[in-house]
Amino acid sequence: MEGHQRNLSLYEHFNARVVGVSRDDVTTLTYWAKNLDLTFPILSNVTGFLGPYFGVNPSPEIKGYPVFSRRTVIIDKRGIIRYVRDGSPDFKDILLFLKKMNKEGGKP
Amino acid sequence: MKRNWVLILIAVMVLGLWLSGCATTETKKRPYIMSQQGTLIWDDEFEFKPPPSGWKIIEVEVGGEFGFGFMRVDSGPFPSQSMFVYDEEPFGCSTQFENREAEFFKRYLWSSAMSLDMQILEKQKVQVLGMEGLAVVAEGKDPVKKEKVKSKVVFGKRGDRVVAFYLTQWRPIDGIYDVSAFEVFDRFWGSFRYLKKSFYETIAQDP
Repeated sequence: MEGHQRNLSLYEHFNARVVGVSRDDVTTLTYWAKNLDLTFPILSNVTGFLGPYFGVNPSPEIKGYPVFSRRTVIIDKRGIIRYVRDGSPDFKDILLFLKKMNKEGGKP
Repeated sequence: MKRNWVLILIAVMVLGLWLSGCATTETKKRPYIMSQQGTLIWDDEFEFKPPPSGWKIIEVEVGGEFGFGFMRVDSGPFPSQSMFVYDEEPFGCSTQFENREAEFFKRYLWSSAMSLDMQILEKQKVQVLGMEGLAVVAEGKDPVKKEKVKSKVVFGKRGDRVVAFYLTQWRPIDGIYDVSAFEVFDRFWGSFRYLKKSFYETIAQDP
């Protein structure tokens, strides 16, 4: 998340906004965001209902406790998912994609 | 007789494929070259004085905590080793050195997770990458594992973003630190320079 915070001005340059989604509760996320000086919104997705909308499903490794894997998703202004990558975010790849989308006019 | 010729032909083809396979595995390109001045040029982007022999290269391509660096196993019992790296994305977000230092040390070496009690020993302004930077020396002790670590972190700027060089030297709790690794590290960051603008400096400028 710190990586996204460092890139906020570049995201803005490409007409993009970043939103974090986490299974943690609001109190935990408030403390966490304050601790890391994050200024962008983070959604508390305690029940996990948002996951399937982005193709993120509970990890089958820990049964009975729905842990979600890390995923980066870019949605365009029409609500279409244009980019999906699992694992740690590749910020250079994300920025190159946003630049391309911005040039196409499909502002995220 | 014809059957024997076919078998020989197949054997030659298999041998040829096997040898060509060997050849391709040998041609992995190294990310650096040595200049005539004795400096190391990394990825056509960075130039610096390399450490003496005995230091091994370490690198992480994507999503890691650091870009590349060098490590050395020191004499003495575990965990006697030294490692220094160049990091384009050090922990934290601030572009002010003093603030970044505080943000950085919250997460550096997973301090809280490893029960390391990190203390700042020294802090001073230095010239790095052709401008003013900040050097911080810190020490952490883990009384449970009976280990300690001494570290020097140098914050500099590339464009408007903060980058960092850092050395960590681990020892058993009663071990003695080796100052020579810190001298090698000082030569590394002191000689470091950029041969071109960074990705972040150019991405917003390109058409």
